[in-house]
Amino acid sequence: MPEASTIEEGKAVNTGRRWWHRWFRTPGELRKLGVVGINMRNARFLLPNNPRRLYELVDNKIRTKALAEEQGMNVAETYGVVRTPHDANRIDKMLGENDAFVIKPARGSGGKGVLVIDSKNGKNFLKPSGVELTPGDLRNHVSNILAGLFSLGGKRDYALIEYRVRPAALLTALSFQGAPDIRVVMLHGYPVMSMLRASTKESDGRSNLHQGALGIGIDIATGITVRAIHHGKPITIHPDLGIALIGVQIPEWDTILRMSVKCQEMTGLGYLGVDIMIDETKGPLMIEVNARPGLAIQMANGIGLMKRLESIVEQHRTHPNVDMHAKIRFAQTHFHAELPPLQAKE
Amino acid sequence: MSAQAKLLTAVALLIAVGGGLAFFKSTKLGVPFWEGERVDEWLVEARVSFVATGRDVKARLALPSIAMKRGGGQESGSLDYSFDVENNRGEYTAFWSSGPRDGGQSLYYRVRFKEGLDSGGEPMPAFEKPNPPDIPRLPGSLGAAANSIVTKAKKVTSDPDSLFVNLFKQINSSDASQEHLIVKRYYEKEDRANPGIAMGIELLGLAGVSARPAYGVRLTDQNSGQAPVPLVEYFDGAFWKVHDPADPSKVLDGREIFVWHRGGGALLDDVTGGENSRVTFTVAKDRIPLAMLTDLRNSPLLISTILALPVSERAVFRYIVLIPLGAFVVVLLRNIVGVATLGTFMPVLLALALLEIKPLQGILMFSILVGAGLWFRFLLSRMNLLVVPRVAACVVIVTLLMILMSVVSYQLGIVSGIKITLFPMIIIAWTLERMSLIWEEEGKRNAITQVSGSVFVAVCAYHFMKVTQIQYWAFYFPEMLLILLAGILLIGRYTGYRLSELIRFKSFSNA
Repeated sequence: MPEASTIEEGKAVNTGRRWWHRWFRTPGELRKLGVVGINMRNARFLLPNNPRRLYELVDNKIRTKALAEEQGMNVAETYGVVRTPHDANRIDKMLGENDAFVIKPARGSGGKGVLVIDSKNGKNFLKPSGVELTPGDLRNHVSNILAGLFSLGGKRDYALIEYRVRPAALLTALSFQGAPDIRVVMLHGYPVMSMLRASTKESDGRSNLHQGALGIGIDIATGITVRAIHHGKPITIHPDLGIALIGVQIPEWDTILRMSVKCQEMTGLGYLGVDIMIDETKGPLMIEVNARPGLAIQMANGIGLMKRLESIVEQHRTHPNVDMHAKIRFAQTHFHAELPPLQAKE
Repeated sequence: MSAQAKLLTAVALLIAVGGGLAFFKSTKLGVPFWEGERVDEWLVEARVSFVATGRDVKARLALPSIAMKRGGGQESGSLDYSFDVENNRGEYTAFWSSGPRDGGQSLYYRVRFKEGLDSGGEPMPAFEKPNPPDIPRLPGSLGAAANSIVTKAKKVTSDPDSLFVNLFKQINSSDASQEHLIVKRYYEKEDRANPGIAMGIELLGLAGVSARPAYGVRLTDQNSGQAPVPLVEYFDGAFWKVHDPADPSKVLDGREIFVWHRGGGALLDDVTGGENSRVTFTVAKDRIPLAMLTDLRNSPLLISTILALPVSERAVFRYIVLIPLGAFVVVLLRNIVGVATLGTFMPVLLALALLEIKPLQGILMFSILVGAGLWFRFLLSRMNLLVVPRVAACVVIVTLLMILMSVVSYQLGIVSGIKITLFPMIIIAWTLERMSLIWEEEGKRNAITQVSGSVFVAVCAYHFMKVTQIQYWAFYFPEMLLILLAGILLIGRYTGYRLSELIRFKSFSNA
């Protein structure tokens, strides 16, 4: 192992604001900050490390979950899989005694087509927002999933009915409705960067950053939140809930890191994002693996990915056979962030 | 070899081959490299098609004497036929013959001439005074009606020219007199192809003016396989003149129409040994001096490329060679600028559609159709339809909207509205479906950004494809597309920031 030292992460090159920062940043500045662009991500990290044939493992949630269960990983319990329109009539049987559940397309992406049901009211189902759905509405949603409305490329799809995660109280406090999830970006099995995605009134329970959800950067070493952004701008307080977003300790951080590394090992993908939710009773649950993780995580952390990725590439080249614990230790010693002051500047 | 080295070798190879071929073509074969050096030429190809019936085949096609006399620039193309041109006192006829044949046959004859010359319908002195025209024999009351028309027309006209104009104006007009209707109906029964022309010629004969049919070709490269345009040639006492009966007072314009055959006689003599014979014309504007072209056509496959094809097939390539250019613009705008678009190559299709209609009108039509379709789509989504029926319903609605728009724009006198039917229907239906999905799933901001991104890319691609120099290269130097391919490969390895990312990450750091 090389000597433990924090990698210089661009903070030193802050030369103050220039007039053009209001509009854009020059390529030179972004390069100094170590920001990775889409082209760079695809050409240097995605294409060489993620062979096409492995995508099927992660694009199909049924397969991902089966893999994860083989590895003894905690996942949201599957109540049933709807494969044909005929199955749609058996949803009641699949659910059994469970009144709260989630229906999602097996091949969906970006939270498309995910329907969360909190409880039942007689025959009808209640969404977290209080909207009531009839059994007919539910069947309709399922048949849309089967027809491929939400899947990549419009292919026919299956609907997955599973346990509705009840996020730990600590996390629900950070989110306006919706269930916040944790994204860990991995390269060669090393955790690189992570963030928490929390919904706002604007994002309507979804955790997509471009729909107005919050991205909250998490320090890899400690699991403490360090920075938050809303529409690309740094904030410190939740815009709807007024709660401080910085300095929150994510529970069971070590479990989360181990889970992420296992996901990399079981899928074989070199570069990936792992999505994890923390249930108040079951602890961290692996939700999905993403073979094309986005770049907004850099904004949430205020740090470019480049230097971390490069140091991992170098470490992986010189130490190809390291175990999970060594990888986590490497990430924790090299990628820890300094905790910013709790108070907002403005 | 590393990926980098492979890429660079491929790029170098592509540029060498593409550039080398283009260089060879322009220096050794003399194909002008710059568009400005070209000579605009019209290339008119007559295609005689018929179904051979298993006997010896003979076919005779009248040829344009004006082009024949000018010399150079004609050729025939037909496999294994013996071919001859007969010259009978300045009237030329192509003569094909062959042994027994079966099945569909096509004979080609190409003529090329510089743009903007005579139409070939100019007044032509008669070698000898034509015989007085035959008096048409019309049965009973028809004869009286025809005589009455001619007498009336003669009263208000002074010479054959004005008589010609007067008679054909009456034939063309929709509110004709009782006598006209009777005579017209007779000719419609007699001559189904061109009743108006047959009637005009006979009425002229009745008035003592010799007249006969002639045939022309419209000089536009819009439609391939046009039928011969029927014209009328009449004798004004000293000269034979060819006029278009649809616009009788106008002298034929050499930029719009070319008279293929005049001087009487049929355009295509009955084909012996064949059935269903007909002549169609394909017109193309060509930009290479003739001598070069014949050289090129005989050169190896690699060099002659598109130019070796018959004109009708070549017309299709005019659009096809533009698709790679559009694809290049898409790659540039998506990977270097970072414009978000709906689907990857939808903008290219849209740009091709814009080439057919004017861009402003095209975009207007597109916005109206998409806007209205989207609105209907939301009405439909309230009914909770399944996906496929919903897309199908969208297609039906968009079709109806297109019909409606065509009718409305026609009624308003904007004729180009009719062309909208050419607008690729699929693009719109598909855009609607994608856009409404994104609208629901990612919000209207994203949907609108992506659609306007697509339109923006399409307009850029359109302007790129519209540059005549670039069209010229793509068409005459298709090997230069290899250089474009090299460019695309290079962009494929571009790992720098997209322009949009400079904005996206503008508030970076300063935590």
